[in-house]
Formats: sequence, structure tokens, C-alpha cells
Amino acid sequence: MTRRVLVTGMGIISSAGHGCKAFWESLTAGRSAVTPVEGFDTTDLGRNYASEIKDFRPRDFLTAAEARRTGRCGAFTLAAARMATVDARLGPASVPAGRLAVIIGTTMGEAKDIEGLEHAWIQKGREAVDAKIIARCGWSLLPIHVARSLGARGALLTLPGACAAGNYAIGLAADLIRTGRADVAIAGGVEIIQQLQFAGFARLGAIAPERCQPFDKNRQGLILGEGAAMLVLESEEHVIERGADAVAEFGGYGLACDAYHITRPHPEGTGTVAATRRALAEAGIDPHEVDFINAHGTGTHANDVIESKATREVFGDRPVPMSSCKSMIGHTMGASSALESVACVLTIKTGIYPPTIGYEVPDPECPVAVVANQARKGPADIVVNNSLAFGGYDAVSIFAKVGRLPPPRRLAA
Amino acid sequence: MRPLEVTGLGIVSPLGVGKEAFVEGLTRAGQGPCGFEGPAETFDAAAYGGIRAAQVRGFDAKTWLGDKGLRNMDRLTALTVVATKLAAQDAGLRKDGHWLALGPDRVGICASTAYGSFEAITELDRVAMLENPRYLNPAKFPNTVINSAAGYASIWEDLQALNVTVSNGNPGGLDAVLCADMHFACGRAEALLVGGAEALSEAIYVAFHQLGALVPNGAPYLPGESAARGMLLGEGAAFAVLEPPGGARARGAKAFAQIVGYGTAFEPPSSEVLIIHASSLATAQAARAALEDASMSPEQIDVVAASVSGYPALDAPELAALAEVFGPDVCVAAPKALMGETLGATGAMGMAAAIGWLGGVTPARIVRGRAPRETRAVMVVALGFHGTASAVVLRSCARGSA
Repeated sequence: MTRRVLVTGMGIISSAGHGCKAFWESLTAGRSAVTPVEGFDTTDLGRNYASEIKDFRPRDFLTAAEARRTGRCGAFTLAAARMATVDARLGPASVPAGRLAVIIGTTMGEAKDIEGLEHAWIQKGREAVDAKIIARCGWSLLPIHVARSLGARGALLTLPGACAAGNYAIGLAADLIRTGRADVAIAGGVEIIQQLQFAGFARLGAIAPERCQPFDKNRQGLILGEGAAMLVLESEEHVIERGADAVAEFGGYGLACDAYHITRPHPEGTGTVAATRRALAEAGIDPHEVDFINAHGTGTHANDVIESKATREVFGDRPVPMSSCKSMIGHTMGASSALESVACVLTIKTGIYPPTIGYEVPDPECPVAVVANQARKGPADIVVNNSLAFGGYDAVSIFAKVGRLPPPRRLAA
Repeated sequence: MRPLEVTGLGIVSPLGVGKEAFVEGLTRAGQGPCGFEGPAETFDAAAYGGIRAAQVRGFDAKTWLGDKGLRNMDRLTALTVVATKLAAQDAGLRKDGHWLALGPDRVGICASTAYGSFEAITELDRVAMLENPRYLNPAKFPNTVINSAAGYASIWEDLQALNVTVSNGNPGGLDAVLCADMHFACGRAEALLVGGAEALSEAIYVAFHQLGALVPNGAPYLPGESAARGMLLGEGAAFAVLEPPGGARARGAKAFAQIVGYGTAFEPPSSEVLIIHASSLATAQAARAALEDASMSPEQIDVVAASVSGYPALDAPELAALAEVFGPDVCVAAPKALMGETLGATGAMGMAAAIGWLGGVTPARIVRGRAPRETRAVMVVALGFHGTASAVVLRSCARGSA
């Protein structure tokens, strides 16, 4: 059995706005959502900028009971998932509950709740550690929150794939549909910023002072961000049967592991090259058919050099337009490839490439065709989404205009 | 699902390290009281009245990995790396750091851990709070990312095909089988190390103590029995090497068991305020789905390796569901009676026990029914704390098929 997997809905909570409309307007206008940090004290860290979400009120999206059951991370997840199902016009009667799966990628999950528990433990002793908060901390709860509220009873999975987690989740959700284990899946990624991650990245020397400038010669590092993005994926048959509209096809994905270093990319980008080639093979396309690459582009020296090298290795001298949303919304870690998946689908839908802002001086070490500073129109039938992460994780996915890809590859019998 | 062949097992457990020691421990454990219930070793148990835990006692990663590269390795990573190394070796894929069969591009890992990064997060949070965030050790920061242990395993064992971490609570080790099945179906690997790991830390102990889930000190640990009064925390790592049908034969290896079915289900609690609950309905649905996936009937299952952990609110619905699906006489065994509540490693430990039983060890600790004369098929069940349940069916290889 093998089936096409289509995207029928998307929801997003981001520093560039909530909902696809606000998000896309902000991105295509090239607006930066990077601001001084307000959520925690950065005094001794030497860095003070991030893409925080400052206007999220759980009660705008959640019931009172839902808001009590979730921490900030769970609330982002549920808000984005609910938005995605509304966008897909997916109601309780649209799909049998057992055929609806929920797959969520994240890195630290309810990191703020855990930090709060730790505070209580240190300052007041372990008896002050609140069981009600402990109960809502587990990573496994993220898809369960969604399933409880939106009526899913199929496979519920949390896949922590570090900064590639979104692609892992969306990819596995597509696998479940392709192999017939589900008809519809809500899949995406979520991450919140908390002091520990910020301090950790600062101590690794990875955070830029004020701006994230992917592929620029003078780039100084990444800017952390937060958010959630969820996609509704659906088998082609199911889309037709319920008369839904598909915005794009998920063509497949490629995974690889550098097996080299826990934080640094492989110097030759071997995992990245392998993952990209595997993704292209899975989608049944050649490198020359790719119209646009939504880069991982973190703005760190190492990532951008290696990603450029791998891109040249796979795509040759043809300058495939490439851009990093992280220049505007920061690096949302486990959520980043999910937010960027939404951007990929919107590129296909509107024919617009979002820009890489802050791109001033080309870097000879990054010989790629950066969409500099201003959005522009271009062919957008097939779009590649890169994600490269801690642990040497490489996950590259492919979205395409509906009807553009060959029939999906047969599964192993 | 297509039957997946089990060609290797690597395990670090309270019953022993390595397949042989584990099988020996599993056999001994069936014949008398378990010796694992000493005070916790990985933190100051005396500060908590000498609380007991099922730990991998005296575990030293150096014994298995040598001296190099261990400085920033946390306990979860050490357990994971050792278990994966032993698994790859047992399957004849690797030896002494070299590949013997297949190769890095065709072998990957699917690992479950539920609270694996809890210890690193709380430790670094502590530095940030008590001292100053600028003193965080950047070399320890990667450990706060929950897939870090599997990331290190891929570096140590050169696993490049793919690397997936599942953090799905107790069912995660079984859900890793689902991931593996998907990746095999899509042709992404020829062998996968599938399992899970959990390490005992003070943070995990405090969390479960505050939840009121632990067995009081001095009380007997009786998962699945009516007198049970709580969980006893455990730890460990277990990874099975799985290969698609025909994989073992193609490379001249021997499969010693098969995984033939998987099922999962979820039922929310009736009250909107509840978060922690176990669902009898979900357990029954998961078990039935796994049987259907395996094209098997309930009578064909000789033993159920249950998830029962000694926490009555979780044990009772599980046992009720098993009685409903399999009838009142089915043999139900409790691996946690031997290895403690290993959380995200639950499914992996259950599968390891099942592999031992399929290999001829008499199932223990039996909490319902009687041990079968011969164990040919085992269902491993794992319940989540929030209404999920998953099940996997393992079968011995028919003679001559491998």
C-alpha cells in the first residue's frame, strides 16, 4: 500500500503573528520579530535578544480547563493544532477518531514548568514541589492535549528530534498515512524559550548580539525564538472523499545522522547531503526540479558553511533560491522545521520566496543564492525544507504543488 | 505488520548487563526473591530514609567503553551507549568498533526515554539559580536535549541511517517499534536498534514521591497484586536489533524471535480536570489492535508481559482489560517485579523479558494464571500515565525459518 499525503490545514503561533495570514504578511514584508528579552533575566549572559512571543493569551484559544491542564508549551501546541483543524475544516465527523493521529516534535517541552518545580525544590524543599505541575510536565502529554480536545484516538507520539523535531514529526505522520495506519494526522513542532536554553546557547557562544544574519559574512550567531506550528496531513483518498481542499503535497523526507559530534555538524556535511538525496529519491524528483530551499540557516558560522557546502554538493552550480526564516523569527528549536514547513507550503500557495533579512555582505564560504532582504516571486512547484540538529540529526523534507509529483514510491512488500 | 526479525539484544538492567547475564538473572529471579531492592545508589538515598530502587548496581561505563570520552556523559547516555554497543555486537553487526555486516548508512536507532533529560535540566537549572547562569558548563548543555543519549549512541556505534528518539511515557519503547516498522516499510534502513532507556536520578525520585506514587519504605513491592502499595523506581536500557523479513538470512545471521504485531490506543479521563489516569478501554483496544495486526487470536498468546508497576490506580484497569481480552486464566507476568518501574524503558524491558521467555526461561513474576509449558508467543503491554496504551506481539521463530 502507498498513498499520497496532502496538506489540508495549517495553524501557527509565532513571534511574527498567530495564524497563517499574520505570519505570512510579516515574513514576506521582511519584518524582524527580534526584540529584547522580557521573559527572564539575561543580565550576566552578555546577550539579550530573542524572538519571544509576548502577546499569547491561552484563553484566546483554549477553554479554562484546557488552560489549567497545559503549561505554556502545551497551550501553544493546542492553540496551533486547533487553528490547523479549523483551517482544514476538519470536524469530529470528518474522520473516525481511531484514524486520526497526532505527532508532535519538541526539544524541552514544558521547560518553564520544570524550572518552576526546580525553584520550589531549591528554595522551599521538596515538599513544596507541586504534584499538580509535575503531572503536566511529561513530554508525552503534548499530543495527548491535542487528542483530548480534538478527538483523536490514533497513534499519539512525541518525537524529540532536537532542532529537527518538526520535520521528524511531520515525516512520521506522513509515514503513518502512507502505510495505511492513519487517514489524517495533526503534526508539527513546538518550543518555548526559557532561561536555561538561552544560557546554554549563550555559553556555547552561539547567540548573536542583536540580529540573526544567515549566510552573511559578518554573521554572529543565532537568535532564539519560540512558537508552534501544526499541519493537517491527509491521504489523497480521504481528501477527495470528504471534499476538502489541499494546499500542497508532502512529497517525502530524508533522514540521516552525522554520527560525528553532539553539537558540531560533520565538516563535509555528509549527513546533510545524504538526507537531502534520500528526500529527493523518496519524492521521486531530480535536484534540478527544486525551485526553492527553505534553509536551516541558523546564522552560526559552522551551520551556514556546512549547509552551503551540502547544498552545492547536491544541487551543483545551479543557484537554487534559498532563504532562512530564522533571520526574522529566530531559531525556534524543536518547532523551527514545523514553522518553516508552514512557510514552505505558503511559498507554494503564493509563489513568494520569503527573504533572508540582514544579508549585507556575501560570504565566499556560503556560495548559495540567498533571497536577500526582500521577498520576491518565483517558480514554486517544489520546495525543500532543511533541518539540521544537535546530535547530528539531519532531516530534509519536500513539499510540492498538488499534482506536480510522480506517484509515490512503492513500500516494501 | 510484516514480521520483523530480532537478531540481537543488548541490555543493561538490574538483573545483569549483556544478554547472557540478563537471561541468567531472569532465570534466577523466577526462582526466589529478587536481590535488587537495596537503597538507591545514584543519589544520597540516606537523605530520603534509605529509599530502595532497582538500580544497575556498580555500573561503570568504563568497563564497557574504556576511559575516553566519558567525562560529560550522564548516566542515561552511559546506559544507552553500553546497551546499543552490546546489541550491535550480539547481532554480529559490529565488533571492537568495526562493522562486520551491513554498514553505517544502513543501520540506525529508534530509542525511547520518558524523562531522560530531567536530570541534566534540573542540574543546570540549579547552577543557574544558585550560582549564575553564566557558569553553565556548555559541555553538559547537550544533555538537556532529550535525544542526546541516542545522539551519543550514534557517534559511538557509527549509526548513520537514521536516529529517532520517542518520548512517549511508558509506551515509548513499544512505540519505537512502530517507528522502526515505518522506516523499514519506506526502505530507510536494513537494521535498527530499537528499545529504550531510563536512568534513576534524584529529580525523578522527588517527582514520583511528590505524586504519592512510590511504595513506602519497608513495604513489600508487589506489582499487579491486590496488596500493592506503590511503585519502586528502576532503571536500565535495552535495545533489540530488528531487521525486515529475510534480512537475517540474507546476511547469514540467525533470528531468535520475531515481532509480529503492534497496537496503540488512547481514552481520555471522564473528568476534564484529571491529567493522570489509566484507561482500561485503551488497554483492551491496544491489545486487540496488536492481535489483529499480528493476525493472531487471544488464545495464541502464551504470556502477557504486563505494565503493572505496583500503583493500584494503574494496575487495576490494566489487569481488568487483560482479563477482558484474554479471559481470566491468561498468564500475566510482571517484568517490573524484577526490574522496577523503568518508565520510558518499560516497553524495552518487557520485550527483553519476552525474548528471554521465548528462549526457554520460565516467565516470572506471574501475577495471574499459570506459566505455560512452552512460551511461543508473548504480548508486551505498556500503559501511559495519561490514558494511552500500546502493545507488541513477539513470537519465537518457527524452526528453520531463520
